[in-house]
Amino acid sequence: MANGDDVVEQEIRVAAPPEVVFPYFTDPDRMRRWKGVEHKLDPRPGGTYRVDMDGQHVAHGEYLEVSPPHRLRFTWGWEGDGQLVPPGASTVEVTLTPDGDDTIVRLVHTGLPTEATGSHAAGWVHYLARLSVAGGGGDPGPDPGPS
Amino acid sequence: MDAALRAIAEPHRREILRLVADEELAAGEIAAHFDMSRPAVSQHLRVLVEAGLLDKRRDATRIIYRARPEGLAELRQYLEDFWSTGLRRLRLAVEREMEDERGERR
Repeated sequence: MANGDDVVEQEIRVAAPPEVVFPYFTDPDRMRRWKGVEHKLDPRPGGTYRVDMDGQHVAHGEYLEVSPPHRLRFTWGWEGDGQLVPPGASTVEVTLTPDGDDTIVRLVHTGLPTEATGSHAAGWVHYLARLSVAGGGGDPGPDPGPS
Repeated sequence: MDAALRAIAEPHRREILRLVADEELAAGEIAAHFDMSRPAVSQHLRVLVEAGLLDKRRDATRIIYRARPEGLAELRQYLEDFWSTGLRRLRLAVEREMEDERGERR
């Protein structure tokens, strides 16, 4: 795999302005509607977040940049001993770009831990093994939410 | 895809993939890295080949193994799906909020 392959990029169009979308990454009540079951968020540079995804797996990291409503960067990893993607291991950047009445949400996940094992292929194997556990091995389905 | 995920759930098999990620190794060379019996190693190799994560070729009397990049690309796709599923849920949540706001204004 080439070097640039350790990046995961995703983009989606949302029918709302960036001001409405942005808090979904920084406000616990809004994040709960799409990700995780328990949230502790301190959305300022240097502040940390802790998101319990499913009662077992906890994503943990630090906000690096919080520039509402257009840009957000945070480190990403899983809590626990021997995690292959420990907190701080990789970085997620989210940019919100207005397009008419919509927002283009772009998510770029970089710094995936391929270096640690000295091999891209092996790094991916480890990373994905961890994710397959964290993500339940497939589509997580809709969050039950607070209803 | 499920076969690949099941295959990498086993730590010995992840170790095997790491060994052959950058270089080809014969079955015996792979087995030398483990305390397992040769048949146990062979079984793991078979699972990895069937999951599409490992290529094997015969070289004279030896069978040589190497990680299969295409199989790893499929795993990579899985990770992309992980995030895209999250973003789709984000979109649904945001657009539901917009609908609610419009409803309240009426």
